[in-house]
Amino acid sequence: MIRILLIGIALTFIGGLLFAPLAMVFVSGLEHGLGAWFHSFTDSDTGAAIRLTLLTAAIVVPLNTVFGICAAWCIAKFEFPGKSMLVTLIDLPLAVSPVVSGLIYVLMFGLQGWFGAWLQDHDISIIYAVPGIVLATMFVTFPYVARELIPLMQQMGNDEEEAAITLGAGGWFTFFHVTLPRIRWGLAYGVILCNARAMGEFGAVSVVSGHIRGLTNTMPLHIEILYQEYNYVGAFAVASLLSLLAVVTLIVKTMLEWRTGIRHH
Amino acid sequence: MSITLEQVTKRYQGQPVVNDVSLEVAEGEFFVLLGPSGSGKSTLLRAIAGLVDIQHGGIALHGSDVTHVGVRERGVGFVFQNYALFRHLSIADNIEFALRVRRMKSADRRARRKELLKLVALEGMDDRLPSQLSGGQQQRVAVARALAHKPQVLLLDEPFGALDAKIREELRRTIRVVQRELGITTVLVTHDQEEAFALADRIGVMNLGRLLEVGEPHTLYARPATRFVATFLGAANLLLALQGPDGIRVGSTPVDATGRQAGPAAREHEVVAVLRPEEVELAADRDQLATRYVGRATVEEVQFTGALERLRLRLLDNLAAIQHGADPAEARIEATRTQPEQRALPLRPGDTVVLGARRLHVLPTPLSSFVVHADDDDTARALHADPVLATLAARMKTRVATRAGGDETAPQSAAPGVAVLATGADAPARVGQLLRAGANEVLLLTGRAELPRQLCIYWMDNAARGATLAVAASLLRHLPAEAICVSAAPAARRDARRAAALRALLDARSEARAAHALETRTELLAGEMPQALTDYLASLDTPLLVLGASNAAQATEMLEGILRKLPDVPVLLVYRETP
Amino acid sequence: MISLRRERSVIPGFGITLGFTTFFLCAIVLLPLTALVMKGASMDFARFIQVITAPRALASYRLTFGASLTAATINIVFGFIVAWVLVRYRFPGRRFVDAIIDMPFALPTAVSGLALTAVFAGNGWIGQYLEPLGIKVAYTPIGITLALTLIGMPFVVRTVQPALQELPKDVEEAAATLGARPVYIFFRVILPAVLPAVLTGFTLAFARAVGEYGSVTFIAGNIPLHTEITPLLIIIRLEEYDYAAAAALGCVMLAVSFLMLLTINLLQHWGRRRLTGGARA
Repeated sequence: MIRILLIGIALTFIGGLLFAPLAMVFVSGLEHGLGAWFHSFTDSDTGAAIRLTLLTAAIVVPLNTVFGICAAWCIAKFEFPGKSMLVTLIDLPLAVSPVVSGLIYVLMFGLQGWFGAWLQDHDISIIYAVPGIVLATMFVTFPYVARELIPLMQQMGNDEEEAAITLGAGGWFTFFHVTLPRIRWGLAYGVILCNARAMGEFGAVSVVSGHIRGLTNTMPLHIEILYQEYNYVGAFAVASLLSLLAVVTLIVKTMLEWRTGIRHH
Repeated sequence: MSITLEQVTKRYQGQPVVNDVSLEVAEGEFFVLLGPSGSGKSTLLRAIAGLVDIQHGGIALHGSDVTHVGVRERGVGFVFQNYALFRHLSIADNIEFALRVRRMKSADRRARRKELLKLVALEGMDDRLPSQLSGGQQQRVAVARALAHKPQVLLLDEPFGALDAKIREELRRTIRVVQRELGITTVLVTHDQEEAFALADRIGVMNLGRLLEVGEPHTLYARPATRFVATFLGAANLLLALQGPDGIRVGSTPVDATGRQAGPAAREHEVVAVLRPEEVELAADRDQLATRYVGRATVEEVQFTGALERLRLRLLDNLAAIQHGADPAEARIEATRTQPEQRALPLRPGDTVVLGARRLHVLPTPLSSFVVHADDDDTARALHADPVLATLAARMKTRVATRAGGDETAPQSAAPGVAVLATGADAPARVGQLLRAGANEVLLLTGRAELPRQLCIYWMDNAARGATLAVAASLLRHLPAEAICVSAAPAARRDARRAAALRALLDARSEARAAHALETRTELLAGEMPQALTDYLASLDTPLLVLGASNAAQATEMLEGILRKLPDVPVLLVYRETP
Repeated sequence: MISLRRERSVIPGFGITLGFTTFFLCAIVLLPLTALVMKGASMDFARFIQVITAPRALASYRLTFGASLTAATINIVFGFIVAWVLVRYRFPGRRFVDAIIDMPFALPTAVSGLALTAVFAGNGWIGQYLEPLGIKVAYTPIGITLALTLIGMPFVVRTVQPALQELPKDVEEAAATLGARPVYIFFRVILPAVLPAVLTGFTLAFARAVGEYGSVTFIAGNIPLHTEITPLLIIIRLEEYDYAAAAALGCVMLAVSFLMLLTINLLQHWGRRRLTGGARA
């Protein structure tokens, strides 16, 4: 009895809060048929937004992946003073509001910012331009890969690497033939989460973007503009595309979890 | 020599985990490092492989110094405790790993792999993943992998730790066969003495970071030199015996004994003797004993273990003989009997028997038991609770007796062992009394909570040197401290005394190494004693001074000088009267 | 004698990875955050206080923290139930529910904001039933709370779930054999064991909610003093080119972030110590 009641409560909660909105996006996006849905993306501004989002992810994700591997390597494999401090600092962006994450770059590179005057003299624009968007996205997605890899590599220990080295392997050989194959699923997991967040970031990007249509609008920002222009079909079409990305991310994530049998948080 | 270790020392945060270990392993030898967990044996093995760096000393493989050579260049084969197989690679790829690193051609790699799999009896397993093999099979793969690049030395770190008894025995045989076949120099680390006996050509026993004894299995078992080895290699009853002009006595009964010091001695003193359970003879009465009578005992417990019967006995007389624990009345003797013996004399709890010793081995250690000398109960209690004494007594499994104050003039034979006193203003005078009464060793305690980290060894004249080194060596088997022999000479370089002092120090170092398997550092202090010594002691972290003397007056004077400046340094005075 | 020197390891790459990590961390995270703090510190103190205590700012704090607290509280109740159901019961669609819990992690906040607004608007799927009851969700503080509940939910479920999973079943059985009733078992055996996890989940959800912007901006209506959250106020100040005021509010938000991070670390430390029995945590 309690069992049925609790399952009922849980399902209603999840259904109303999670499932209904998600279904809503796809229903509204496809309300006028597949044709209208595809037509929404022929708009040049929408196309530009998609391209900018892909470009941002293409820059941010690899950089944060390399960073994550480096951070996990030095934190998991070595003991040094200040290690726990370093771990906390890496996690810091998760606790900072996205708006603040954007704000800090405005204060650095904006007109009144630290480097503002210098940048203007040299005719370099960062804020209200693509570099600002990339930087803000980088900040927001900074910890994602590192957070997945650090506990994974700590738990694996150094035994296999040490074994490889006693067998004569060098550092790179050990990394590519011993470490990387062992962490690949965790790495993939971190990368897809990092990618999902990079493509979907709204607050931080909103602050640094300047909302210039066709130039500095990413997909999430574009949704807001379409929505404010009462172009609901367009807004939901872009939203459903991003939702599709989220669904794919979830599927890949679930498959990785089944594959490794490890639960990630 | 295949492996040579020269005074290897490794510290973690200032604490030595491997302490001055020197060792030589011959070509093709199977050497087993045996010790309890935390004894430093695994660290030592990893140091040989280059997996940990050492702070002091040198390591040579096949005559070439590799102390500063990286792991990869040392080219040893290492088998890890938990196999450390590459879980994502097949057995074939695991074994070929070292060959692939060395860019060997694929056909050659295959041939070598087949050869190795045959060697460890795993033919046809090439394509499996490590997770598809049993623990024992994984361990075989780990051995094959470590041998692939034809290392000249094979190192195994507790290789059978995670396996059950039957597979363990089978693997033991495999490893022994592989080792014989290849003739490869092998060092194996284990905490299991049975394993060590089964495998080793020679065994090295480690405890508290020190390599205590090295020898062939049967020698170590029959003639251990230290309490630790005696009790760690199989069960042992430790007895306090007296050595005098007529040989060895246990209580009032003379017994036959073996050992370096088992002969007659000019002055009677206390020694420690090992009685193995299987060397205990039990009989219904004294006439039926084939060996020398030790005492009467009651049977407390009888345990049937299959081939052998295990008994716990309580001595009814001769109680002083037993050393275990603080209270002799609590002490028990263990004995084992074979089936024929059981049939000849069936025993049940409560029966009274007489006990004889077939074979008694006298340990060469000069430290037997401790006797606390105190004027009042409070001081006695404080001394009993002193961390240094408590630790030593527990680790030496020895007795701490108490003597009330005022009777230091009683004959020495009544109070053998190390006299223990509290430091204080009257300490030198009381030491003088004790020495005149015939005490050989006096330990002055300060109540300091930390165990000493350095043993500063100084003998006032050469007559006392041998005894001082022997006592220091015995102490160091129970304390993880550094040993430093000191001497002093004027700073001027051309002074003849300087050269003489230096020579004396180096002589002492070789004597410590040869006679007591003890590695020491030497320190030639500039200046005159006792000033130089007090200055040096003050510069050390938590020292204990081992002071050797053969003249009572000089000894008390020296003590007075040191204690006045450094009241918180514990001192062990070793006194050997010159005849 | 204790040396701070790092034990030399045979594994290569310490210098280069630590160097790169530190450099990247400084360049991307620490330097910009310093810029914010410096900007806040360079302000006249009276002006700083005036900005962060302006009526509009105070109203935004009340809304932001109030809604976040409410949302986090809702989440620990329902999140706990969801986690419990997922751990203890087997029912059709369980794995689907388990997978969809993470949706707010993967779904862009703009999309969830947009979708929630559509679902709970007066003519939306759920909104149309609530409207006649006099409950307006969209463009009110209720809507904001709802959006914050959505984005915080997985934090609670995903911290409580493993704690419940690790809870040995035999402890409950032991309590039952000792004669304890289910309610007693829940409050005296289960809840104390997972309390650190629940509190950690609460703090994580709260911290995330306080900073949230994307989903709220769609459903809030953004009316000053009424449905204007602090992050939005920062953006408005920026759009007015009042960088100093934006920085001042940003400093307040950052201080709250640090406080949350500290709380989370302490909670996790506490939880670990309780599990391992103290001394050797």
